[in-house]
Amino acid sequence: MASNFPKPEEKSLQALRDAANRLRLHSIRATCASNSGHPTSCCSAAEIMSVLFFHTMRYKPQEPGHPSNDRFVLSKGHAAPVLYAAWAEAGYIKEPELLKLRKIDCDLEGHPTPRLPFVDVATGSLGQGLGAACGMAYTGKYFDKASYRVYCLMGDGESSEGSVWEALQFGFHYKLDNLVAIFDVNRLGQSEAAPLKHDTDMYRKRCEAFGWNTYVVDGHNVEELCRALWQASQQKGKPTAIVAKTFKGRGISGVEDADNWHGKPIPKDKVESVLNSIQSQIQTNKVFSIQPPAQDVPEISYKDIKMPSPPAFKIGEKVATRKAYGLALAKLGNANSHVVALDGDTKNSTFSELFKQAHPERYIECFIAEQNMVSVALGCAARNRTIAFASTFAAFFTRAFDQIRMGAISQTNINLCGSHSGVSIGEDGPSQMALEDIAMFRTIPGCTVFYPSDAVSTEHAVCLAANTKGICFIRTSRPETPTLYSQEEKFEIGHAKVVRKNDADKVTVIGAGVTLHEALKAADELAKQGIHIRVIDPFTIKPLDANTIISNARATGGRIITVEDHYKEGGIGDAVASAVSGEPSILVQSLAVSGVPRSGKPEELLDLFGISAKKIIAAVKSTFAN
Amino acid sequence: MEDYHKPDQQALQALKDAANRLRIHSIKATTAAGSGHPTSCCSAAEIMSVLFFHTMKYKPQDPRNPNNDRFILSKGHAAPILYAVWAEAGFIHESELLNLRKIDSILEGHPVPKQAFTDVATGSLGQGLGAACGMAYNGKYFDRSSYRVYCVLGDGELSEGSVWEAMAFAGFYKLDNLVAILDINRLGQSEPAPLQHHVEIYQKRCEAFGWHAIIVDGHSVEELCKAFGQARHQPTAIIAKTFKGKGITGIEDKENWHGKPLPKNMAEQVIQEIDNRIQNKKKLSPALPQEDVPIVNIKNIKMPSPPNYKTGEKFATRKAYGLALAKLGHACDRVVALDGDTKNSTFAELFKKEHPSRFIECYIAEQNMVSVAVGCATRDRNVVFASTFATFFTRAYDQIRMAAISESNINLCGSHCGVSIGEDGPSQMGLEDLCMFRAIPNSTIFYPSDAVSTEKAVELAANTKGICFIRTSRPENTVIYSSNEDFHVGQAKVVFKGKDDHATVIGAGVTLHEALAAAEQLKKEKMPIRVIDLFTVKPLDKKTILENARATKGRIITVEDHYYEGGIGEAVSAAVVGEPGITVTRLAVSHVPRSGKPAELLRMFGIDKEGIIQAVKMAVSKSRNAE
Ligand SMILES: Cc1ncc(C[n+]2csc(CCOP(=O)(O)OP(=O)(O)O)c2C)c(N)n1
Ligand SMILES: Cc1ncc(C[n+]2csc(CCOP(=O)(O)OP(=O)(O)O)c2C)c(N)n1
Repeated sequence: MASNFPKPEEKSLQALRDAANRLRLHSIRATCASNSGHPTSCCSAAEIMSVLFFHTMRYKPQEPGHPSNDRFVLSKGHAAPVLYAAWAEAGYIKEPELLKLRKIDCDLEGHPTPRLPFVDVATGSLGQGLGAACGMAYTGKYFDKASYRVYCLMGDGESSEGSVWEALQFGFHYKLDNLVAIFDVNRLGQSEAAPLKHDTDMYRKRCEAFGWNTYVVDGHNVEELCRALWQASQQKGKPTAIVAKTFKGRGISGVEDADNWHGKPIPKDKVESVLNSIQSQIQTNKVFSIQPPAQDVPEISYKDIKMPSPPAFKIGEKVATRKAYGLALAKLGNANSHVVALDGDTKNSTFSELFKQAHPERYIECFIAEQNMVSVALGCAARNRTIAFASTFAAFFTRAFDQIRMGAISQTNINLCGSHSGVSIGEDGPSQMALEDIAMFRTIPGCTVFYPSDAVSTEHAVCLAANTKGICFIRTSRPETPTLYSQEEKFEIGHAKVVRKNDADKVTVIGAGVTLHEALKAADELAKQGIHIRVIDPFTIKPLDANTIISNARATGGRIITVEDHYKEGGIGDAVASAVSGEPSILVQSLAVSGVPRSGKPEELLDLFGISAKKIIAAVKSTFAN
Repeated sequence: MEDYHKPDQQALQALKDAANRLRIHSIKATTAAGSGHPTSCCSAAEIMSVLFFHTMKYKPQDPRNPNNDRFILSKGHAAPILYAVWAEAGFIHESELLNLRKIDSILEGHPVPKQAFTDVATGSLGQGLGAACGMAYNGKYFDRSSYRVYCVLGDGELSEGSVWEAMAFAGFYKLDNLVAILDINRLGQSEPAPLQHHVEIYQKRCEAFGWHAIIVDGHSVEELCKAFGQARHQPTAIIAKTFKGKGITGIEDKENWHGKPLPKNMAEQVIQEIDNRIQNKKKLSPALPQEDVPIVNIKNIKMPSPPNYKTGEKFATRKAYGLALAKLGHACDRVVALDGDTKNSTFAELFKKEHPSRFIECYIAEQNMVSVAVGCATRDRNVVFASTFATFFTRAYDQIRMAAISESNINLCGSHCGVSIGEDGPSQMGLEDLCMFRAIPNSTIFYPSDAVSTEKAVELAANTKGICFIRTSRPENTVIYSSNEDFHVGQAKVVFKGKDDHATVIGAGVTLHEALAAAEQLKKEKMPIRVIDLFTVKPLDKKTILENARATKGRIITVEDHYYEGGIGEAVSAAVVGEPGITVTRLAVSHVPRSGKPAELLRMFGIDKEGIIQAVKMAVSKSRNAE
């Protein structure tokens, strides 16, 4: 196979070497201008970037976001300057712009973000690029069924992240032969050498053990790189890993392969001679023909996705919201063929299996690897190729908090559904109970947090999420609860529902999920005793419907009680407290879970942690006592 | 191989019998509870039997004895078999097993440390091996004792990257006192695990990560005994080919039985069948451990000297953290530090320089770093501090959440908080860390604003139960406290105060210094304000906040280098919202920031001196209009 390798002419190879050196010059200059940044991390990757961008990859340099283009993910995001330099060499960025690196009015940020059209996913938190690349490659191979290929560049230090191995396993399992991972094994990390140093054989063994077609190359030899990348393109049924042995700071004398240079620009007094020495190796001017991509990506467009029919639940019918999620998602899949679902071996608990049953070819099993699941979702949703919904127990999204946080920086539109929220799951105990998920998702910028309380509103949440920009989180519950809303009820993001109301109401109680039902039980019981309370279903916790809350609070003596199956911190109580914190006459009491819970029956635990109907009644009564 | 003595037939039969008793206990308990994972227990029955009654050395009546071998059930949903084994060992009454998962029993659905034999809570998969690494590292390098560490994992669980972080760690540090047993029962929860029964792939992977890997029939007690007997100079992985639900006719190796108890009548029949295979009812007892663990005392650790800073001096709190930790290391030789290849940014390197043998480099694997920290801190062997950029602790949120359930006392320090790090941009800025740590039960959150209070925070953290988080900043700020200032958890400081203050401004870290600058300016403009340094965000000093808010016309303004949600503003709002007449204005970061100079970014998000002055003026005119 290797013998058929169409070896580039010496002239082309020299052009690639020269391009690599120009990338070095740009990276060094830019980081000097910004007086911060990572020139040595750029220099080890110069030949890799040059060969990728000016030999191997097929793309339209003036249309970096074109869906047919090959994808490139710089997982070692701190090497951003070399990425910017490559796009400058490709003609998309003007060279002088490079010198504005890291300035407040320039989008060439310290690490890549999608403020730049050639960046699909933000990087800078290490170990996340390959998972996203897997999502793109999966989309290319199985959804778009197109010929674009996906390349991902990683650092060696970075490969200590477990998320990298989750992604390698995923790439192997799904035979992503359109995916190439390149390890820039420059021996060094940030504060010392990476654990495997230059033991490229060990990297090879690991990659092979994870099922990848693997080549070890001299990462500064453009010919070897061209060959390995060509071989990768010939490989069927397996993704390819290229273990590139390189030197950090390559080309910078006195700095190359030396400790203590990570993240440091070249000192002013040295830089002239460094630049001159690199410049002197350049023999040609730029003449590349960047290959255009095959235009075989299907056109897709979707806007304003609607459910094919209204919700089919009857008021009073008992359905768990987790099940309603699965039903709704399967239905949404009928409305739009770009809806895809992912799960981490919990599909029979989250009910995403209902989607899988209806649309098996659009379901991606991610196994027990939540970080990678979120990254794959991000990759699938890049360039708006799919509308991705990923689910697991809400508690296990904590495993992917960093990926979710980076998802927001990536301006992604993924939708995440977390089931098994709160102590109301019962016997499984605290490790399985999500009690911090609302806090976690509320603090994600631009995130919409749905917390539906019945099957009808869950179905609406799913449909709204599909149409909403930014990350959406849907919190579902394990217990079956009665359907509250009619089929005609309209739901909007940021619009709460007043579900119990009487002119004589003395307190406004805000609950969601199981606690909304506890609040309703409390209202019934209190009504028998002649005490009336107002009950609000917030529907979305973020954005929170502050107007409805404040006006109802005012109508009920300024008294609010929040009750939630979540820890006190960062949940509904905190959200409501801060929404009314400018109103000196509104008082909020928060009922929430405090301390680590335990195993037990759901009802027992609701009571033990003070969020049952009984405890709401007591709280309402004590409000008057004061 | 040399030290392997093949057990005689009788001993082997006894182990087989014990395994079957473990099956029976697990089936009975889960059927009684009406929930739980009997099939996940049954695949591991021989493994558990051989470990607890042949291989491990421990005192069955004193499970937490520091000399004991350690055992971690990483696949925590198989808890019933762990409880069964301790019943067989005589520590739990057999009858108690039937209270599994009840609200008044300590035998919860997944292992928790209220059980004396559980060091770390499990149940979120993929976390046990990292903790086991911490215990093994501690045993080999700190305790230098002969106890060994055993960890049982599921095959589905091996998809978690955290497992491979731990694998790399153990291989790198040559933890030859560590044994991982992989229960390759082919199935996961909702379908087969991705590698099915391909034990040879697992073996290749383990070997590539520096382990000695042995494939065995996981239902052969003899093969297991032999495999455990092999001594190596590297960690050992026992790749046990098993069948899920082994021993349960009709269910063994079948899908759709994960997490399902057997119906009562079926259970009875199955138990009868298994019982018939038991030849001898005699209970086994384990070998006792060697008593060679040093006595340690980690209580009441005091800094050897007061802080050595001058007020007015400029110092980054991240650097003060490193200096304080190095100093604390002199006070107690059981203070250890971990970092994830950021030690020259967090300044943990200052500890490493002074106490190289007590620093553990965890490389770029934050999940594993936290798990290793938890492992090192078990049984009160060490006072552990782990550091990285605050935002990268999000990578380990699940581990931190589980650490709280484990009742761990680890201390975590997150540097580079907020937009004030500047040019590196949003991926490196901690803007959700306060929210994240506030939602951890029983956590203490220190947010020191100068070098003196940072040193105090480190000292207090070392002596505080529960998870402690110390948030440090990149920029250099002025030292505001004298060396003899006293600090307590939950006690805020009023750092600027006049007579007719118009508002109370609460800041921390860089924003406290912005607030102080605003206070100077507003004083000149005859609109004096009060400034509070919270010191700990959790617990929050509600009393000081309220007293000062009341003395300043009920106006509070919070200003923080953090997102709006879950941070200082919300903590304060939640604390005062029950109090009439008090309003809170919050200043925080409202959306994804970007690269730029620190001062430019503070300005952009209105959390600098100017932003504060404006907010004070607005609050004052708003309430005047209202009057
Ligand atoms: C999750 C995460 N942890 C830590 C860091 C801090 N950090 C930035 S670069 C770096 C070293 C990276 O080394 P390597 O992957 O070898 O890349 P190189 O610069 O050597 O090419 C570290 C630890 C980070 N950005 N992300
Ligand atoms: C981090 C995490 N993700 C998902 C789950 C839900 N879960 C519990 S058990 C299980 C399957 C475990 O399979 P395996 O590790 O093979 O163990 P087995 O029961 O087969 O022995 C899953 C997905 C979990 N507990 N933790």
